[in-house]
Amino acid sequence: MISANQLTKQFTTKERGSTFSWRGKTRKITAVDKVSFEAEDGKITGLLGPNGAGKTTTLRMLSTLLTPDSGKATIDGADLATQKVAIRQKLGVLGDAKGIYWRLSPRENLLYFAKLQGMNRADAERRATQLIDELGLGALADRPTQGFSQGERMKVAIARALIHDPQTVLLDEPTNGLDIMSTRSMRELIRGLRAQGKCVLFSSHIMQEVSALCDRVVIIAKGRVVFDGTPPEVLAQSGASTLEDGFVRLIGSDEGLFA
Amino acid sequence: MSVFSFSRASVVARKEWVDLLRDRKSIFWALFAVSISGPLVLCILYFVAKSVSERIDKTTAPIVNVAFAPDLVRHLERRGIKIDPEPADYRDRVKRGELDAVIVIEPDFQQAMAEGRPAKITLITESSRDRSAPIAAKLSREIERYAARIGSERLMLRGVSPVVASPVRVEELDLSSPEQRGARLLQVMSFYALFAGLMGAIAAALDVTAGERERQTLEPLLTTPVTAMELAVGKWFAVSAVNLLAVTISLTGFLVALQFVPLAKLGIPFSFGVREFAGFMAVLVPFAFMVPAVLLAIGAAGKTAKEAQSSLSIGASMVGLLPMISFLRQSQPPWWDALVPVNGQYATLSKVLRSETIPTLDWAAMWLIPAVIIAIALVGFSRTLSNEKLLAGR
Repeated sequence: MISANQLTKQFTTKERGSTFSWRGKTRKITAVDKVSFEAEDGKITGLLGPNGAGKTTTLRMLSTLLTPDSGKATIDGADLATQKVAIRQKLGVLGDAKGIYWRLSPRENLLYFAKLQGMNRADAERRATQLIDELGLGALADRPTQGFSQGERMKVAIARALIHDPQTVLLDEPTNGLDIMSTRSMRELIRGLRAQGKCVLFSSHIMQEVSALCDRVVIIAKGRVVFDGTPPEVLAQSGASTLEDGFVRLIGSDEGLFA
Repeated sequence: MSVFSFSRASVVARKEWVDLLRDRKSIFWALFAVSISGPLVLCILYFVAKSVSERIDKTTAPIVNVAFAPDLVRHLERRGIKIDPEPADYRDRVKRGELDAVIVIEPDFQQAMAEGRPAKITLITESSRDRSAPIAAKLSREIERYAARIGSERLMLRGVSPVVASPVRVEELDLSSPEQRGARLLQVMSFYALFAGLMGAIAAALDVTAGERERQTLEPLLTTPVTAMELAVGKWFAVSAVNLLAVTISLTGFLVALQFVPLAKLGIPFSFGVREFAGFMAVLVPFAFMVPAVLLAIGAAGKTAKEAQSSLSIGASMVGLLPMISFLRQSQPPWWDALVPVNGQYATLSKVLRSETIPTLDWAAMWLIPAVIIAIALVGFSRTLSNEKLLAGR
């Protein structure tokens, strides 16, 4: 269970006048502006928004990588500001950066993270084997991941996020760059997590994806929450006939993803 | 934040160690360069020294107008110098380096000698060429020896003791032991040992800092309970282990090379045995742990491997440049010189080679100063690892 309350994050960017100017102008950009929402256990919550809306920044704050400038959040009652380690143990994160160690095999990649999560050797190996089987990585399990396809690497990354069997799972654009078959198996996996009673929060910029999976949709545009409800409510509130039209109207721009 | 967990740091260290050693190509080339460069220089030194001593042994003296000074020719021949009479184009050939030095005897040599005037001999040399210098010096010495002999004979003929003509006798008492004279030539070894302690770390330091960021594995890592300090310590330990491996390989390379290069035959008494090996390791172990800490702190600030590489070259040139100062310095080094990293190590390694006793204070500096630097560098490194700005890619 995630509860975010008025989360805000600003970044300072530098603009250089020319190649040779030493000090550029600094500008503050509010990436996330008072974002509040809840994601419940046994439900899939979708964080929907165009590119640059603040989805990744929100997920990074929830995964303790960035410290919010203001606002609060709790995960299963643990406070983001004061109980970082507890939160890191509760969370499984497939973040924006999904790199894996290419000189290590999938199994070694998984065992490394298992040990960092404090699992003992026997448990770690059992869980790694289980995830390798579930994700169909059996034939590749002990080969270095260099040369793996995008889909295969994504499978290793998601297995790594789930290695310690976390109650809450954050997924940042988990289907990005995947083909149809891999996308479908990723959706199956996310539904499987819901069936186990996990709390799943995932971000996407694709409306269809969200509508196919989510029990609840939080739409973010320019750092602000512009909608929070079920997919049918998207249609009702926007007065549009399709989800995509509803999404575009709600984010307040006809340019949609290119805004 | 949470307390430092040694078990998590050791998990990081073990993973990095395995990961680094799997990078066969980079590791192989770094270790190969390290193991080959020192012994290679040793072999080059050996062959240079050998050819110089051979050339001096087999000196031939090209003499122009050889017929005018038969007595000098006999003197040179008795001293084991072969005579090459009447060389053609001798000026050009000296200039070109085909002849090292030529003795030219003036036509009135014998007449001047008979009349008691100074008889003139010209020694034609090319002083800008290093390899001719020892030969020219030898010929010049032999001519002076000949002149001194004639001079004393003349004095004796006049009933004067030759001692009268040498009011001062210079006797040199060289305080250096044979090991020390050999060590001067072989200070090159200290340099290459330090060089190994840098080369072994560079590729590895790049891989675990900027490489980790570039492969996008740092962010997932930081979402686990591992703290930035645990990561820093683990990575530092793994890179240091690789570096220590490089140092050990380099020293072993020297040990092996010295078995095959008979320096003693050339009159370069040089011992690098167990005692010297142990002394080197006692200096190089803290050094091998210090260098990676500094490189990691610098390298972590780079957003890409390329950026990190260019900033790391500062560290590389420091190790290259600082010993140069000791090498070229003519005056006594200041007291704090032994405390400067790299320079201090270089000085202590030289002392080990010269079989000098090393004061406890020096040993303390060899261990305490790296310890302080490691602590500072690791704090900086862990701060950079968890820096939000670098994480967000800004």
